[in-house]
Amino acid sequence: MLGERNHLWDIRSLLRRDVLRIGGAGFLGLTIPKFLSASNQGADEAAWPVRAKSVIFLFQFGGPSHVDLFDMKPDAPDGIRSQFSPIGTSVPGLSICEHLPKTAKVMDRVALVRSVHHTMKNHNSASYHALTGVTPPLDDQRLRKLPDLYPAYGSVVDNVAPAHSGMPTFVSYPYVIGDGSETPGQDSSFLGKGFDPLLITQDPNEPHFQLPELSIPANLSHDRLTDRRRMQQLINRQSRLLESSAEAQGLDETYEKVLSMLTAPKVREAFDLSQEPDQVRESYGRTTYGQGCLLARRLVEAGVKFVNVYFSKGIGGQSTTIGGWDTHGFNNTRMYKILPEFHLPITDQTLPTLLLDLESRGLLDETLVVWMGEFGRSPKINGAVSRDHWPSCNTVLLAGGGIRGGSIYGASDKHGAYPERDPTTFGDIAATMYALMGIDPETQIYDRLNRPLPIANGRPIRPIIGQG
Amino acid sequence: MRVLHIFIPILMTLAGLIPCDTFADEISFRNDVMAVFAKAGCNQGVCHGNKFGKGGFLLSLRGQDPSFDFLSVTREFDGRRINTQDPAQSLLLLKPTMQVEHLGGKRFQVDSLEYQILLRWLEADAPHDAQLESPLAKLDVQPAEKTIFGAEGQVQLRATACFSDGTTRDVTRLAVYEPVEQIVTVTVDGIVQQEAFGETTVIVRYLDRQLPVRLAFLPDSDDSNWNKTPSTNIVDDHVFAKLKQLRLNPAPPASDEVFLRRAFLDLIGLLPTSTEARQFVSDDQPDKREQLIDELLDRQEYADFWALKWSDLLRNEEKSLDRKGVENFHQWIKQAFAENMPMDRFVRELISSRGSTYHHPAANYYRALRDPLTRAESSAQLFLGIRLQCAKCHNHPFDRWTQDDYYGWANLFSQVNYKLFDNTRKDRLDKNEFIGEQVVYMLPKGNVTHAQTGQSASSRFLGDTEIAVDDDADRLLQLSDWIVSQENRQFARSQVNRIWYQLIGRGIVEPIDDFRITNPPSNPALLEALTDYFIESGFDVRAMIHLIMNSQTYQASLGNRPVEPIEVENYARPVVRRLSAEQILDAVSQVTGQPVSFNGFPAGMRASQLPGVRAIRPRDQQPSPGDQFLVTFGKPQRLQTCECERSNETTLSQTFQMVSGPLMNELLSGSATQIELLISSGRSVHEIIVELYWTTLTRAPTNEEINMAIAHCQEAADSEPGLEDLLWALVNSNEFLLRH
Repeated sequence: MLGERNHLWDIRSLLRRDVLRIGGAGFLGLTIPKFLSASNQGADEAAWPVRAKSVIFLFQFGGPSHVDLFDMKPDAPDGIRSQFSPIGTSVPGLSICEHLPKTAKVMDRVALVRSVHHTMKNHNSASYHALTGVTPPLDDQRLRKLPDLYPAYGSVVDNVAPAHSGMPTFVSYPYVIGDGSETPGQDSSFLGKGFDPLLITQDPNEPHFQLPELSIPANLSHDRLTDRRRMQQLINRQSRLLESSAEAQGLDETYEKVLSMLTAPKVREAFDLSQEPDQVRESYGRTTYGQGCLLARRLVEAGVKFVNVYFSKGIGGQSTTIGGWDTHGFNNTRMYKILPEFHLPITDQTLPTLLLDLESRGLLDETLVVWMGEFGRSPKINGAVSRDHWPSCNTVLLAGGGIRGGSIYGASDKHGAYPERDPTTFGDIAATMYALMGIDPETQIYDRLNRPLPIANGRPIRPIIGQG
Repeated sequence: MRVLHIFIPILMTLAGLIPCDTFADEISFRNDVMAVFAKAGCNQGVCHGNKFGKGGFLLSLRGQDPSFDFLSVTREFDGRRINTQDPAQSLLLLKPTMQVEHLGGKRFQVDSLEYQILLRWLEADAPHDAQLESPLAKLDVQPAEKTIFGAEGQVQLRATACFSDGTTRDVTRLAVYEPVEQIVTVTVDGIVQQEAFGETTVIVRYLDRQLPVRLAFLPDSDDSNWNKTPSTNIVDDHVFAKLKQLRLNPAPPASDEVFLRRAFLDLIGLLPTSTEARQFVSDDQPDKREQLIDELLDRQEYADFWALKWSDLLRNEEKSLDRKGVENFHQWIKQAFAENMPMDRFVRELISSRGSTYHHPAANYYRALRDPLTRAESSAQLFLGIRLQCAKCHNHPFDRWTQDDYYGWANLFSQVNYKLFDNTRKDRLDKNEFIGEQVVYMLPKGNVTHAQTGQSASSRFLGDTEIAVDDDADRLLQLSDWIVSQENRQFARSQVNRIWYQLIGRGIVEPIDDFRITNPPSNPALLEALTDYFIESGFDVRAMIHLIMNSQTYQASLGNRPVEPIEVENYARPVVRRLSAEQILDAVSQVTGQPVSFNGFPAGMRASQLPGVRAIRPRDQQPSPGDQFLVTFGKPQRLQTCECERSNETTLSQTFQMVSGPLMNELLSGSATQIELLISSGRSVHEIIVELYWTTLTRAPTNEEINMAIAHCQEAADSEPGLEDLLWALVNSNEFLLRH
């Protein structure tokens, strides 16, 4: 009597299970309704073909000096002109800092956007802006991490276009960055915990580096875990919750996945840097950042879609051995000493190595590498022969993943103080990244109050995107 | 009256409609052209209704500002969008018909009704009827709700516009139809076609009015199969009436074991002990369930658990309130639940609160909400169930609230100010941090500025009320009187919905703080009946809980068939949800017999007793494993006045913690000593297994489970590791982690 009816219900529940399975494909994500809402938006594939399968986002916390690195002004007067000299690059007519000679040789793979500007003078507000593409509600040295702020790029990608590789969509390391308080924009925020990055705060340069989640306590063996899972499954069969409840099915899937990750090799291997030949490890540099970039390459190879690598935990700028790019010259330090002794050698060892390594493996075409800080530095050299914060103009590097190598978009004025041509925002950079990933930058996500919001407040920079 | 000859055939052929009663002689910009912009989707948020417009063409969001749109269409760029000399060559017609490239695609055909309306308007030289003689007064949609049985169901919706001069017009063809659940499609003519079974709301919109139509599409079934289930109280009366209409059977009652577990978790957040469980099950008094509910309501843990819920909502967190403030505020909330303070008094005290945040704990409500707009938004959401946020920047697109409403409401809160005695914040650069006493007081004057007009707002209450606010008298005292008064039924309605959600797991309006014209309750009669009951009881929270939990609806069993959304939406079967962070940690702590420690609190404190979010700890000290566990499982930071801030999502990192995380491992290993004690006290392995089942799952093991557990324990000489494995399997089971 209820045959027909049951049949029809069954089709629906079958469909739902299907959705569940797909929804569970993300790593930390298992939120069916959100998955549905994402799939309903249906990014227009014709408009934005997938050029970049993955993004490696190298965040240079503290704010590197654009006028000393990639937008030098050799004709500017004393007090403004960099103490570094420019050198030629593999792009005719393009010069960059003399302390980046290896980087100079790969500039034909890189696009420079030299007109990025905003108004946030504090690290936390500016970095939130850089890490999400969205203007923060206020310029605050301790910008509060409120749940209505935007999610990190990787969390957005996890929400609207998750990885189906059995790998996490979004991985982030080796720090949670902050300036006095945690910088917002590093996690899923209003999208919900299911879209948080897999966060690793271990140092990939440590000899026994591994994913902490994959280590099991000494008293547990794989066999014992398998036994436990078997018992758990028997108990689950008694209540029959799995038959009726999507929540129970979703929960059980996380156990299936966790147990297989603890016992199966794929994920473990992706995080295992010891599998790399010493020569490769050396080429990236035996630094936290260098090995972090190597790890990023391994992760995108294994199918991770978005990797955030943070150069430093804090803003730094006063040490030649540790910290970020915030070189004010405080406490009698000097930017022109710190950069060539610390930041620039590491950068010059790592960035070109990463690009060439990706290229030699055929991955550069499908991997977008983005290198940027939260702002540039003041054209005027300050009393401590260093430079202060400068959000009004900055340079962003993009390479691979559909980027037209050797292109330059926008220009700063004669002192590098303000955009002179094609002013660009972080929103435009965000839209460009999404577009290259095949995600319509106007795709909507929903905050906790269910308000529709576009993933990017800007437009893709078409001139730096290559043909076909 | 001259009827436009052009429209009748189009309307009749396109929609098969009866000709409209009246139709304007001339095309009206406000009534016709604006309707086309909406119908064709031009003024949606993703199109020209975007804050920045699209392609340089900006319309007001969903047509909220016709005057602006008129200028945008006719005047901007020297009127390049229209060509009244050769109307068909206007961009306004060429673009949406894709005769000229249009990123938004083809919106309508040449010669469609939309096209004809715009063309006629342009032919008439694009006039502006700035002052309508008879503006739209009301929108009527038929049917308002309907249940349709059988495959391929469809319904014709009809929309009628009533104008202020008493004339009406059939606007079915020009109304916009937006289904909330994507189980239907709607044609341009308002025919709703079923794609899948289930329940949905279709929002019907014409100009600035919108109405919901509630539709259910169900498989054909014989209504004589409907089980007449005896109803216990008004909850069941209304739930069963709706179920009968949907031909869905209520689930049979849950077993004592399942009921007991559910009642403990929902009311006090804890599991019953093995002794409590066995006693209850063997008790043969017929009214034992009702007795149990009353006993639980009298327990101190009830106040703890409900104070936790309200501490989340009232933003009880250390950075704004400081540790002392958090503890005082928590204590005050807990006391309110312990003595069953009527909800109207509770809310009146919060809204009218002022004075020292140390000595008048309710004043922490305002200490946490630092500006008028946040106070206004939070209070609307919390005490009226209304999300007003949208109306800050534009009229609410899905509800009646205008920017005037928003700023008028915000103005009520504009005079709150703080006297800071000695803010000893640890980080002088952190403007969000406050340590030290504050006094909340009212400035003698001060208004918020209306963002649209730039003028001072004048205060108004939210909703249909005749009562005006005297801006020269104490505004918040007026508000605290009004909000709980007879005038404002929405207060009781929203609080009933909140309590219902906390027990049932799904609001009658869902999300619970999103009452909106376009988000109707799943069972309006039920909501109104509960609201009456709540008001008549004098806003008695325990009486409301008592009523709901004694219903068959609350006490229903889950059953084994897959749960359909429509069953959950109509309370035919219980909601299954993951236990909250605090519930899981307290439960594991209870069943392993191991206390969990939290930074800054004495040992023995349960997770659901923690007053705040993060206790003060020495700089750089890691949060304790217990604190970290709570964050991973979704304990909110208490920075939003929203139930939605607490996350019940299931994530892999949670499962990693449960499977092999150090805290779980420590608790389970610690339990080994407990198990050893049981063994050395002479209990048999069999007895211990049975005990573990009652402790963790509130039931006896099945034979299969007994056999499995005994076999596993006998694999080794020592049965203790085997029992530890069993305990692991029990606390990781669905039955343990899910409320069912």
